[in-house]
Amino acid sequence: MSVNHYAELFCFSNFTFLTGASHPHELAERADELGYHALAITDACSVAGIPRAWAALKESSVKLITGSWFELDDTPSSAARPRFILLARGRKGYGQLCKLITTGRRQAEKGQYRLFMQDVETHELDDCLCLWLPPAPSEADADQALVCGTWLHRLFDYRFWIGASRALESGEEQHLARVRWLASELQCPVTAMGEVHMHSRDRQPLQDVLTALRHHTNLENAGHCLFQNGERYLRPVPVLQRLFPDAWIQESIAIADQCTFTPGELRYEYPADLVPEGETPAGYLQHLTREGEKRRYPEGTPVKVQALIRKELELISVMKYEHYFLTIHDIVAFARQQGILCQGRGSAANSAVCYCLGITEVNPANVELLFERFISKDRDEPPDIDVDFEHDRREEVIQYIYRRYTRERAALAATVIRYRPRSAIRDVGKALGFDPTLVEQLLEGIDWRDKDSNWRQQILDKNLTRNPKVADQFFALVNTLLGFPRHLSQHVGGFVISAGPLSELVPVENAAMAERTVIQWDKDDLESLGLMKVDVLALGMLSAIRRALEHISQKLGRPFGLPDIEREDPRVYDMLCRGDSIGVFQVESRAQINMLPRLRPRKYYDLVIEVAIVRPGPIQGDMVHPYLKRRDGIEPVDYPSDDVASVLERTLGVPIFQEQVIKLAMVAAGFSAGEADRLRRAMAAWKSHGDLTPFRDKLIHGMLERGYNENFAERLYRQICGFGGYGFPESHAASFALLVYVSSWIKCHHPEAFYCALLNSQPMGFYSPSQLIQDAKRHGVTVLPPDVNLSQWDHTLENSGEQQHLRLGLRIIQGFPHKSAERVCQNRPETGYRSTSELRKLASLNQRDMETLAGANAMPGFTSNRHQAYWQLLDHEQPTELFANEALASYQIEHCAQLPEPSEGQNIMADYNSQGLTLQRHPLALLRQQGHLQHCLNAEQLKTTKAGIPVQVAGLVTGRQRPGSAAGVTFVTLEDETGNVNVVVWLETARRQRKPLLTARLLHVKGVLEREGEIVHVMAGKLSDLSHLINALPVTSRDFH
Amino acid sequence: MSGTTPGYSGAVDVWPRVAVMLWVYLHFPHLLLDHIRRDRVSPQAMVIVEGTGQRVVQACPDARDQGIQSGMRLKTAISLVPDLAIVRAEADREARILEDQARWLYRYVAHIALVPPNGLLAEISSLQKLYGGLPAVWQTIDQALNEHQLTAWVATGHSPLAARLLARAGKGEYTADKGHILRALEQLPLTDAEFDDKTCTHLQRLGLNTLGEVVALPAPELARRLSPETLAHIQKIQGSRPDPQTPWQPPHSFRQQADFIQEIEHSQGLLFPLQRMLSELEEDLCWRQQDTDTLFLVLQHRHEEDTRLRLRTAGPEHRSEAFLELIRLRLEQQPLRAPVISLVLSVRRFLSREAPVAQDLLGETQDLNEAWHTLISRLQARLGEQALTRLSPQADHRPERAWSAAAVHQGMKLSQANPAHLPRRPLWLLRGPQPLLEQPVAWFSGPERISGGWWDGQRVMRDYYIAQLESGQLAWVYRDVQDGWFVHGWFG
Repeated sequence: MSVNHYAELFCFSNFTFLTGASHPHELAERADELGYHALAITDACSVAGIPRAWAALKESSVKLITGSWFELDDTPSSAARPRFILLARGRKGYGQLCKLITTGRRQAEKGQYRLFMQDVETHELDDCLCLWLPPAPSEADADQALVCGTWLHRLFDYRFWIGASRALESGEEQHLARVRWLASELQCPVTAMGEVHMHSRDRQPLQDVLTALRHHTNLENAGHCLFQNGERYLRPVPVLQRLFPDAWIQESIAIADQCTFTPGELRYEYPADLVPEGETPAGYLQHLTREGEKRRYPEGTPVKVQALIRKELELISVMKYEHYFLTIHDIVAFARQQGILCQGRGSAANSAVCYCLGITEVNPANVELLFERFISKDRDEPPDIDVDFEHDRREEVIQYIYRRYTRERAALAATVIRYRPRSAIRDVGKALGFDPTLVEQLLEGIDWRDKDSNWRQQILDKNLTRNPKVADQFFALVNTLLGFPRHLSQHVGGFVISAGPLSELVPVENAAMAERTVIQWDKDDLESLGLMKVDVLALGMLSAIRRALEHISQKLGRPFGLPDIEREDPRVYDMLCRGDSIGVFQVESRAQINMLPRLRPRKYYDLVIEVAIVRPGPIQGDMVHPYLKRRDGIEPVDYPSDDVASVLERTLGVPIFQEQVIKLAMVAAGFSAGEADRLRRAMAAWKSHGDLTPFRDKLIHGMLERGYNENFAERLYRQICGFGGYGFPESHAASFALLVYVSSWIKCHHPEAFYCALLNSQPMGFYSPSQLIQDAKRHGVTVLPPDVNLSQWDHTLENSGEQQHLRLGLRIIQGFPHKSAERVCQNRPETGYRSTSELRKLASLNQRDMETLAGANAMPGFTSNRHQAYWQLLDHEQPTELFANEALASYQIEHCAQLPEPSEGQNIMADYNSQGLTLQRHPLALLRQQGHLQHCLNAEQLKTTKAGIPVQVAGLVTGRQRPGSAAGVTFVTLEDETGNVNVVVWLETARRQRKPLLTARLLHVKGVLEREGEIVHVMAGKLSDLSHLINALPVTSRDFH
Repeated sequence: MSGTTPGYSGAVDVWPRVAVMLWVYLHFPHLLLDHIRRDRVSPQAMVIVEGTGQRVVQACPDARDQGIQSGMRLKTAISLVPDLAIVRAEADREARILEDQARWLYRYVAHIALVPPNGLLAEISSLQKLYGGLPAVWQTIDQALNEHQLTAWVATGHSPLAARLLARAGKGEYTADKGHILRALEQLPLTDAEFDDKTCTHLQRLGLNTLGEVVALPAPELARRLSPETLAHIQKIQGSRPDPQTPWQPPHSFRQQADFIQEIEHSQGLLFPLQRMLSELEEDLCWRQQDTDTLFLVLQHRHEEDTRLRLRTAGPEHRSEAFLELIRLRLEQQPLRAPVISLVLSVRRFLSREAPVAQDLLGETQDLNEAWHTLISRLQARLGEQALTRLSPQADHRPERAWSAAAVHQGMKLSQANPAHLPRRPLWLLRGPQPLLEQPVAWFSGPERISGGWWDGQRVMRDYYIAQLESGQLAWVYRDVQDGWFVHGWFG
């Protein structure tokens, strides 16, 4: 054993929130530099930092020890509460530690923990080592300390040490004297420890900031809450040797040597209950696949697919992934049995096996998608399948998982919520004592789309502080704090399911949602430990598709499902090429609508590209234009080598998918599988705190070495940077594209079913019900208003001869409860309700419900207009008994002559107020008729107007967007009675006319018409606010998402 | 409007006559803004935001010109006017400012009621005689408003509520003609009639837009279908139902506060707002027919404790110039400790103008801490105010910051620090560290490392030791980052 050795056994990472001031990997890397023998990460009742530290130490000689720090909620000595560290000795000890942490976390609110002496006494902890941290003389007297130590010593016996740290603070001599005295009284060894809060002394300012925040104060008032100095860092071994007796340092090494557990031993133990007795997992998977084959290919499986299945099953077997596929199959089978539509996506989802298992609808016979592209033998990473379920029925699936595997064995993965610029600025500002109003003003005023340097300048401009030194500190602190974890939240749907109790694999804690529990690791942690998770996600479009299919089945009088949809129908592609895609999955945004006529999709794979290409990654990486040019034959398609061709062929030499970028790094720059994997992670993290520069040299060198020119190398690097965080994987696009096609097909052939289903699945998608209904009307769908005598809760299709009309349901009426609507429908007399009092009585509606219906004008059968309806409803003092004795037919409608008749404008206004839309004329049509919009062209007229001429337009502002990929340009969407008008506002124009741009709800624009193919824009010149014309109209705009 | 509504032939039938009273209502649409703006030299677009800071509640004319409206989200307001001045609304402060307005109005009108947060109501029927008609009353009030640099929307009405509604709607006129007032009321939009939200919604849903249309509905139906309170509200507007008001009584002391949105760094800058406050004091004293000889001035700072000044005049005084001169001299002697964010002037001691000057040095102070105060005052008078300070521990790791000599004032609190937890420190801490010139002969304890204070520019990084010098003295010495050695204190 070298003399230069030391094992740090007490170290907080920043997963001890607002306490630790360094990332786990920083601590790990520093311990490696200093040549420590071992490093224990001992966060407060947590092992959340372990996977990251482990990943950083994988290739180092420093041993990582898993431990946790605890402070109990009660005490044996009526003085300070016991504080100690538990270290896991072996795998068993690790499980015991996780279990204790789980207990502590589960009996406290989210983010807290509570542990009592009794918990420590009753938990098995025989494979854990205990390091006791005795109370300081100011906290407890010697006898109290001894009582506390005796209690712990009795529990842990020869696995018990006293931890002594030296931070060079006042009173330390007395404390060390006490440690020695306690050791002799208890007859136990003492170990040296650093009470580490940060990897380097430079972090003291940040540690002080965190401490002040933890105590809800600022630095100036934090006083003695702060540490006296910055000595709680990873100190060089020689320094420690001067501070501690040699025996204590040796003891630290002896303890470290007892701890043999490494996170790498954690093996995912799959739930065995999915495989019937007597079957092997591989055999059972094969069996299920064969069953599926019969269903999918009743005519016999094509030879090509047979070969594919064989190959895939072989690969799955080699990688031992059978259980993973069986688990997903089980969940999907449940959904299918319940009639819940679902669709898998991700690296392994688009395989022939998954097609047979019903996990995906992407038919391998129709598409060239190589399974190996998504799962590889060299990359030892778990397969990734995300399954989307109907959004309003996903909870059923989640409840099934909890039922099937119990809460002991299933929990959601965590999502680590980290400091973002806004929160970091707010908190550092608070700690430095800046005026909170000024900080808020600053935050409001910052344009977050600008680069970092810019907000820095904006802060200086704001005079937040006059002291330039403080300003520098502020920036430094904010920059360091960025990316620090703040708390654990629940992942959107990533489940971890295990064979044994999950809490022996990883601690489980409470989530904010009642009845939900999360583990302490997030998806990256799980991935780095090689543990698998199943993503159970919610997708609104699936709900809409299922409903639409039901409508179609009803209309056709026979079951109609996904497989019945005709593939590659040219009429569907014609529609998409026109940019007619409002409501269609994924391609309905303004940017997508503009792209469709340029990309002109004609086949399924075009849709895969369409889904992936309109993303910040490809746009910033400048891939869109080259792709379009090559597609149109304007630019030649060439490849610098055959290797590159093999990767980029299917996208005409332009990398569009995330997988292609990674693969390029491998074939063109010679990255190993492991390096490519690290690159992928760095790309994913690039947005928050990642740094791609380490990869730059390797990439460029690698490519130059392999004979690629510098230009190509630089371009690839730029594309990788552009992809960072925004790249879209082909494996996901492939699944999404299928839904794009399906939803387009429905829109094209059964528009009434399409809109009805979309409206019943709200909220979802990009457009409001009002916009969807206007689009429906433009597609020839007749939309009828809600009516207590004709509507259900949901929107329905009414047969009217050959036609089907869309009847709005009572759900469109804002504030009308579902329960009340059910009563309205259930108790409706054959002939319908005949008066307000009959409705009130039969459906037992309260006054609020009745008024809501009146406001919606939903009683046209027995009220002449809204005003009269209210007048009738206001008279509600008659006792209900009276009704019972009265013949229903004798109701007479009261009429008040003094009340004015509602005008068309009032009706439109009231419709908007009640339903957020109107079926009457569009407000713009009314204004146009009244002569307010002279010289303005409508959206329809613009389509046939020549480019380059000055035009005037006006419309309701339904969207303002400033995409990061279009420097400083604001896109405004105006809605009029014929459609949407896209207005482009350049930065300079926007600056000069902030007020109308930002506040107008009805905007008038003078500008120039521009045209690119079928896409029409108005380049804004003068903007005027006409909102006064629609004063009370509640129109909301989707701004800057 | 009334002409077009069928079944509504004339105002007289609907609005019954009652005993002749005339009310005037002063609505201050942006009282807090006016209050802050009048003490500012350079105007800048300014808004008041609600307590949570999310929404604008008042916007000054400059801000409104640039598109800011009340009710707007602060975020939007800032994007419209990036260098907007923002003040947070505080109910206490607004109540205080409103009361300030009542005080000057009280000089003209005896019967005043406060209508928080921003209105004053006064009964002026008797005044018309006193001032010789309504136009003269109007002129008097208008002039006073100008003097106080206040924006107010004023209206008269034959009932408190009538005056209030017309004033708040900005439809006020100075008229005692009831018919005229009633016609103006009829035309008020429904939303300005101050029905409760629920009633207002009901009435809107019936398609009614003006107060006149509501009044036209049959009264029994109104009470039955809406509520008896709705009818009562209408009757109060009409003046056919009593609407008693709680009369306001002026306070026994004088207090004025000025709040600054930009900190004032030089005492010169305080004189401008003081001038105004002192002339209000003079008016107040004149009206009371009294003098004073003691002014209290409190200067509030953002971080430091308040600076409290007590100023004595040579004798009973009421002239603002005399007070200003006195304050000016005092501020010249005593520079500001820190930038000032607000200023409070108060007078609690009033002397009858005929009363003889008090004989004893301190006068008959009414303060509760009389004895304490007397002692401090005497010591300060003998030794000078600067000479007297108070020692107290401060929570700070840096030795030179671990204590403070604060100004002495009333209501001192003792520190709660437990002496057992305090670190070991020499009794005699030198005013500043001095270079250690000799090699110590023995070391007793250390090092104790102190590093901190990076946030206020007074960073220390030192290793402290207790060492014995050749002279036998026990010194508290330290080594700094540059390896220099210093003595910082002596142990006994």
